[in-house]
Amino acid sequence: MARVKDYGNAELEEKLQDTSYYADDANPQFLEDVKKLSRTAANMCFQCGTCTGSCPSAPRSSYRIRLFMRRGVLGLEKEALNDPDLWLCTTCYSCTDRCPRDLAPTDVIMAMRNLAFKVDIVPRNFLKTVQLIYKTGHGVPNNDVNRAARVKLGLPADPPTTHSYPEFIPGIQKIMDFYKMKENADRILSEGEQ
Amino acid sequence: MAETKEESRIGVFICHCGTNIAGSLSVEDVKEYAKTLDGVVVADDYQYMCSTPGQSKIIDAIKEHNLNGVVVAACSPRLHEPTFRTATEEGGLNKFRFEMANIRDQNSWVHMHDWEGATNKAKDQVLIAVAKARMLEDLQPKSVPVEHAALVLGAGVGGMQAALDLAGAGIKTYLVEKLPTVGGRMSQLDKTFPTLDCSQCILTPKMVDVGRHPNIELRTYTEVEKVEGYIGNFTITLRKKARGVLTPAEALERGIVGGGCNGCGDCSEVCPVIKPNPFEMGMAPRKAIYIYHPQVMPLLYTVDFDSCVKCGLCVEACGPEKRAIDLDSVDTFEEIKVGTCILAIGYDLIPIEEKKEWGYKQFDNVITGLEFERLICASGPTTGHLIRPSDGQTPMKVGFVLCAGSRDNTGGVAKPYCSRFCCMYCLKHAHQIMEKIPGAVPYLFYMDIRAFGKMYEEFYYRIQNEGAKFIRGRVANILEDPITKNLMVYAEDTLLSRPVAMEMDMVVLAAAIQPKPEAEKIRQMFGVSKSQDGWLLEAHPKLNPCGTTTAGIYLAGVCQGPKDVPDTVAQAEGAASAASIPIHTGEVQLEPYFAQCIDSLCAGCGMCVNLCPYGALALVEKDGRTVMEVTEAKCKGCGTCGGFCPGGAIKMQHFTSPQICAQIDAFLLKGEDY
Repeated sequence: MARVKDYGNAELEEKLQDTSYYADDANPQFLEDVKKLSRTAANMCFQCGTCTGSCPSAPRSSYRIRLFMRRGVLGLEKEALNDPDLWLCTTCYSCTDRCPRDLAPTDVIMAMRNLAFKVDIVPRNFLKTVQLIYKTGHGVPNNDVNRAARVKLGLPADPPTTHSYPEFIPGIQKIMDFYKMKENADRILSEGEQ
Repeated sequence: MAETKEESRIGVFICHCGTNIAGSLSVEDVKEYAKTLDGVVVADDYQYMCSTPGQSKIIDAIKEHNLNGVVVAACSPRLHEPTFRTATEEGGLNKFRFEMANIRDQNSWVHMHDWEGATNKAKDQVLIAVAKARMLEDLQPKSVPVEHAALVLGAGVGGMQAALDLAGAGIKTYLVEKLPTVGGRMSQLDKTFPTLDCSQCILTPKMVDVGRHPNIELRTYTEVEKVEGYIGNFTITLRKKARGVLTPAEALERGIVGGGCNGCGDCSEVCPVIKPNPFEMGMAPRKAIYIYHPQVMPLLYTVDFDSCVKCGLCVEACGPEKRAIDLDSVDTFEEIKVGTCILAIGYDLIPIEEKKEWGYKQFDNVITGLEFERLICASGPTTGHLIRPSDGQTPMKVGFVLCAGSRDNTGGVAKPYCSRFCCMYCLKHAHQIMEKIPGAVPYLFYMDIRAFGKMYEEFYYRIQNEGAKFIRGRVANILEDPITKNLMVYAEDTLLSRPVAMEMDMVVLAAAIQPKPEAEKIRQMFGVSKSQDGWLLEAHPKLNPCGTTTAGIYLAGVCQGPKDVPDTVAQAEGAASAASIPIHTGEVQLEPYFAQCIDSLCAGCGMCVNLCPYGALALVEKDGRTVMEVTEAKCKGCGTCGGFCPGGAIKMQHFTSPQICAQIDAFLLKGEDY
C-alpha cells in the first residue's frame, strides 16, 4: 500500500493515513542503544502488561510503558522518541519490581529519554526544570506557601539545601556545564520560541 | 612410547555428518593426515558414517585390510558408540577394538567459525584416538542376571499406572508410597480437563487394582532408606514408618485372630487431637488417628505420632477383638531386591505467598488452584459449594491469575518454565463456576492460553462460549478491601492498552509447580541427575525421555518435568515398558571396564578397599598371600582405586595406564618418538 496517498487534501490524508508499520520503520540500532544505556535485556519483553498494571501513571494518563517496551523491541525509534508520553514516567520502579522477565522498564524509559535529549526532543517543562536547578539547585524551588507550612511545622523556612547554603550552587552549575545541560536547555527553549 | 603387542593395522573413518562436521572443517585434510599416522593402513570418509553404507565401509575395510583397530571420527560416543561397535564386531573384530574421536560435539559445533583451527583440532583428536586404538585389547562384556522384580516409587496416577503395567506383564512390583494412601495429586482433583470426568471416579478403579493385583506388593506410609547395587540387582532398604495401626494380616501375625483395622473409624471419633488435613489443603480437620478421605487405599487408619498424645482412647474404642492399634509401634525396615526402578515422585506447588503482590496468605479470599479443587469437590470440606473463605458467601466474580510464578525469571520462588497444566485447569475451574453458580463470571487474566493437547483448544472454545471472560494481561497486584474482603485486581488489558482495576469476590492463583523437597535426597540415592530447572533429568529429552543416565532407573510423571494427567500416564506406560525389558531379557551386559588386580604386584595393603565408592573390592587370601579381589558386577570402572594404588597393581580395563599415556604422548609429541 502506498504510504502517501495523494488525496490532495491534508485533512483526508491525515484521516485515511496508512497506519501499518513497515519493516524499514525499524531501526535495529535503536534497540541496541536502549539495551546499552538501560543495562537491561530490553529485547526480552514478552508484553504481559505487568508493568502497565503496576504503573501509577497509567490510570491517570495515556502513558503505557508496555508500548514503549514494544517499540524498543521492534526498533520503532521515531514512534518512541516523538511520543510525549515518554515523559510521564515518575520513575517509581514498580514495573521493575514486578517484571516477570526481570527487566527494568524504568531504565528503558530513562534510556529513551536520554536518546531523545540527544536529538533535542524534550518537553519544555523538563528544560525549565534544568534551568531552575542551574539557578537554585532545586527542580522545584521553595516558595512562600511551602515556607509558611514549614514554619508552621516548626521547621526553618528553608531546608538545609542550596536554599540555606547557596555557596554550593556554583558546584552544581559546574557539573551541569560539564554535560552542557544548561547550554542545551537554553538553546532548545530559544529555538522553540522562534 | 609403550610397546604394542602386535603390528597395528588401524582404519580411520571420518564422518561428514552432513554439514555438521564437513561445514566447519576440512574432512579431506584430516583424512590425508590420518593416512600418515603410525599404524594406520586405511583412511576413508563418508557423508553419514552411521548409515548402512557408512557402516559397510568399516565392515569391508576390516576384512580387506585385516584391521585390528577401528577409529571413527564423528559425533559423541553417547550417540553412536554402540552403532560403530556393532559394525566393528560384524567386521570380525572384538567390539572393544573400536575408538571414537568426537569431532562434532567437541569440535565442529564449538569452532564453527574457525575452519583452520577446527581442522587442526580434528587432526589432533584423530591422532589421539589412533594412539589409543593401537593399544586396545579384546574384552568380554559381563552378563549378570536380572532380578525378576521392579520398584515403583510414588503411587500417584503415574506410579500406579507403571506398577499396573509391570504387574500385568508378570513382574513382581513393589509400589512404595510415602503417604498412608495411594492416589497422589490426582485424587485431590475434582474433575479432569477436557473431558470433565470426575477425577476420583476414574482414579479409584486403579487405586483398587493396585491394592489387589497379585503381582503388586503395596507399601504405603513407607520411604526408601537406602539404595545399593546396579541394574538387574538393586538392593533397596525400605523404611516402613510407624503407623500405629495393624492390618488384619499383621494382627494375625501377632496371634490376634480376626483382628486388625477394618476402617470403621471408631478410633478417630474418640480421638481428642485435631489437626488440619493436608489432603484438604488444611481446610478441613483430621484427628491424630486418621484417614485422608473415605476412598483411601488401603482403608487403614494411621496414627500421626507427631500430634498423638497417647491418651489411649482410640485403643479402648477399637476394642479387645480387633486390637488394631499399637501406640508403641516403631519404624521397621525391609530389604527388597529388584532389577529396575521407576521414580514417580510427583510435585508440589511453589510457596506462592512469597510473591507478595498477589496476597496469598495475606488476604482470605486469595486461594490456590489446588484449594479451589477441594472447595469445588463434592467430597471436599464444603461438599462442593464454592464459598469465600472470609465469610462463607458464594463468590459471583472470580479472578484467575495464570502464570502465577511460572514463566517468571525473577528468581526466588518463581520458575522460568511453563507449568503446563494451569491454563487448562483454570479453564476447567471457569466452567465449574459457571455450571454451579448461575450468574457467576470467571475472569481469566492470562498471557497466553496454552491449549496444546488433544481436544484442549476445543475446550478453550467451549469455555469462552459459556461466558468466561479472558483478559490478556498478567496480574500486577491484588489489594483487599479490609471491610468487604473483596479483592481489587490490577493488570493491563494489553489488547485494549488500558489499565484494569476489577473488584473480585475471590481470586484463584494458578501457582507454579516445583519438585518435591525430598526429590533431592531420592535422586542422590538412585544416582539420577537433575536438569537446570530442578526436575529429574531424563537420559535424552527426545529419544529417551523415560530413562536416566543410571542404567535401570526410569522416570514417570511430573518429577521429570511438568505434565498433565494424560502425559503422565503415557510416560508411566513408557517407563514401565522400558523397565520391563531388562527383566524380561533376564540378563544385562555390563561394560567390561572393571578394575583388575595384578596379583603379583598387589601388596595387600587394602587402601583401595576403603576408597571404593561401590563396595566392589575386598581382600582375599590367594596362594598364601593377601591380595585384592574385584567383584566385577559391582565395579563401575570409576578408576578411584587404580589411580590410588601405590604399587600400580590395579589395571583399569579399556582405560589402562599405557593406553592413556599413549594418548597423552601422542598429543604432546605430535607423533614424534622420544
